[in-house]
Amino acid sequence: MIEFKLPDIGEGTAEGEIVKWLVSAGEAVKEHQAVVEVMTDKATVEVPAPADGTITKLLAGEGDIVPVGDVIFHLDSAGGGAPVAESEPSAPSTHEPAPAVAPALVATATTSVATTTTSKVLAVPSARRVARELGVDLETVAGSGRNGVIRRADVEASVSGTGGVSTVPRPAAVSEQRIPFRGVRRKVAEAMTRSAQTAVHFTIVEEVDVTELVRVRQKAKALGAQQDIKVTFMPFIMKAVASGLMKFPMLNGHLDEAAGEIVLPGTVNLGIATDTPNGLIVPVIPGVESKGLLQLAAELGDLADRTRKGQARPDELRGSTFSITNAGNIGGTLATPIINFPDIAILGVHRIVRRPGVVDTPDGEVIEVRQYMNFSCSVDHRLADGADAARFVAHLRETLEEPGLLTLLLALKIDSMESFS
Amino acid sequence: MNQSRKVVVIGAGPAGYVCAIRLAQLGQQVVVVEKEALGGTCLNVGCIPSKAMIAAGSLMEKVSQAHSMGITIEGMQLDPAKLVDWKNAIVGRLTGGVGALLKKHGCQVIMGTARLLDKNTVEVTTKQGTQKVSCDDIVIATGSVPIEISGFAFDEDAVWSSTGALSPTTVPNHLVVIGGGYIGLEMGMMYHHLGSQVTVLEATGGALPGQDRDCVKVIERSLKKKKINLLVNTFAKQWSRSGDGLVVTIEKKGKTEEILCDQILSTVGRRPYSEGLGLENVGLATTESGFIQIDKQMRTSVSNIYCVGDTAGQPMLAHKGSKEGLVAAGVIAGKPEEYDVRCVPAVIFTAPEMASVGMTEDQAREAGYEPVTGSFPFKASGRAMTLQDTEGMVKVVSDAKSDLVLGVHMVGPEVTELIAEAALAIEMGATSEDLARTIHAHPTLPEALMEAAEAVHNMAVHIYQA
Repeated sequence: MIEFKLPDIGEGTAEGEIVKWLVSAGEAVKEHQAVVEVMTDKATVEVPAPADGTITKLLAGEGDIVPVGDVIFHLDSAGGGAPVAESEPSAPSTHEPAPAVAPALVATATTSVATTTTSKVLAVPSARRVARELGVDLETVAGSGRNGVIRRADVEASVSGTGGVSTVPRPAAVSEQRIPFRGVRRKVAEAMTRSAQTAVHFTIVEEVDVTELVRVRQKAKALGAQQDIKVTFMPFIMKAVASGLMKFPMLNGHLDEAAGEIVLPGTVNLGIATDTPNGLIVPVIPGVESKGLLQLAAELGDLADRTRKGQARPDELRGSTFSITNAGNIGGTLATPIINFPDIAILGVHRIVRRPGVVDTPDGEVIEVRQYMNFSCSVDHRLADGADAARFVAHLRETLEEPGLLTLLLALKIDSMESFS
Repeated sequence: MNQSRKVVVIGAGPAGYVCAIRLAQLGQQVVVVEKEALGGTCLNVGCIPSKAMIAAGSLMEKVSQAHSMGITIEGMQLDPAKLVDWKNAIVGRLTGGVGALLKKHGCQVIMGTARLLDKNTVEVTTKQGTQKVSCDDIVIATGSVPIEISGFAFDEDAVWSSTGALSPTTVPNHLVVIGGGYIGLEMGMMYHHLGSQVTVLEATGGALPGQDRDCVKVIERSLKKKKINLLVNTFAKQWSRSGDGLVVTIEKKGKTEEILCDQILSTVGRRPYSEGLGLENVGLATTESGFIQIDKQMRTSVSNIYCVGDTAGQPMLAHKGSKEGLVAAGVIAGKPEEYDVRCVPAVIFTAPEMASVGMTEDQAREAGYEPVTGSFPFKASGRAMTLQDTEGMVKVVSDAKSDLVLGVHMVGPEVTELIAEAALAIEMGATSEDLARTIHAHPTLPEALMEAAEAVHNMAVHIYQA
């Protein structure tokens, strides 16, 4: 029996999508007869049978993304056909299944080669060798040489996290770029599609007067600096969110569809959307409701830093119960954030703007220069209603507009907060 | 990873012996089995001896041209026996060197014939008898042999293969070469320089099929100048003896003709060689053209059996085989090696020499590039003039969009040496501007490559580009 492995179609492909099976299990095929249509980032190709025989088993479904070298069908060859035909001559070696932790010499080599492509990416010979040794896909390395040629140092830097890695190649002098749609970019795409197609999004936007918060944060910043902790607005927002979520738990958790239950964990684990050289990654800070402001600031700084360097542990990248996305320092006045599925809701944080505002004073209403910040909160309408969301953002406004109140929130146990609003 | 593996390398040509030495360097236990002679075709009956003989022919040619430099040499004579001795001495030094290197690296060499019994056992038959060698891995490096065409079986007397042509007892008066490929032209021109009248029969429509046509034109011009008769679209049908001479029957455009000569050399190509190796015992088979299919790690469909060199596929060139040997050795030693080269240079020792690396214009176009070329003739090279060798040119093929060097094709003096720079440029992803901006020493032949790179942008200084 021949275990037919997905060959390296067109050189340098790492994986292919099974578009359509042209045969079914049990069907007899002739050598060179087209068996399956496979789409790579380069082309859609009909893969031929390696020998005469009968297809005994199809191992991949239509639409599956299959790595090069994975067995996609079994073929019982007639007359014990040439086993040479088992894989295309140009395909990476895959005669032995490559275990995750390779025990054998041969398998070690096989594993690392399967991830490497060379023919389409311009890399100098030593860079190609180092890429294979480090298991780096050259298509993910930005070359520093002229024309984007990848040098050995670029590959090494891409691994040490000192730069170089990018799913987006350096802009070259060509009019059209074709960027492989894979890795983090595709993971993001899959997650977003799932969220958008599953959760029923609605977004509510609240304007918050943060004039006082700006002052308090200025003081906290000085305090933090004494301990080498960078205090941004984010820890304040996280505390306000945590207290809001403890108060309105219907926005904090996820839907267990299999069990038919809404899971409300009773603790606030905040996913913080982080822009990294690899793309969007969402590390999670757990137990926000019980952490102090400086502690949060310190944890946030450390985790964001490690995430950007690609050093966050896998367990730090999951388990969020609610997420915050902050594009405030870049631009935009409001947004419709996509929920970090399967969270119930997400909060978008926008930039602080100075505007004239009406302020109550003992002398009556006056117009002052005030500072405002917008918050866009998207909620899965299957699990929570508009009123829940409105109450939640109102709580955010109240706590963030009254930093004194926020200070009290920080000082007091969260569950005793009921009386405050 | 650190465990030493026992490896049997079958064949000690430039693919096999290089593989064996690298395996030993990487700490593996190596047994090399060689049926005929260490060094294989390349060292014994191929590249090296032919270049020795060609060098002799070129020297005679140079001497005969030296009168314009004011040098006249009377009574130049060739002693073929002494030439063959000199050539054999070079071969002896090199093959001896290979033996010494293998020994110093601790490789065990068995002179005998190998046959695969199963995927871990090789049977070796020597003069003393038969032994079984068990091993972890096997590297097949059994090379290739000259192709015989019907009616022209090699007897190495009237009908030479390239092997016979490298050990002549006399220089033929009229040599008929069957096959206008690179071996036929190298040998034909060599014998012309040594004093033979030469006729070359080529079945296709031109010499050196597959090479850059602009370069081939220069060679065809040179053949004409040397009065070497190149008959294209011509098939050799049979031969017979006639008195002291030989008669070759040819067919050209349906018409049959006869050519009188005193020596026939048949060089219609080479085919991979794996007969008697017992491939069937391990479930391996060859393709229709006789090659063993391999992946990028030189591995056959049997995971511990590798194949390198001419048996592993085109191009059948020694340096490609050596590279494959290095790759296989690395893979066996657990390194993530892969045959990942962007190009394989090819050199042809005709007069003038030819060399190429990378894509021709047509290949570049097929690959989706927008090829632009720049050429520089050796007629405009000061160094070529001082060498009295100004035929030919250098042509750079690069991509109009990215300026990447895609291919370089050369014909002219010492171009077999010049091609190395072009291969490096392609491997390093250099642009033709990179080549043009690199200072090339004056007065040297490589300046022609720099100028050809400039010519891509219409900026060559030493020719006028309208």
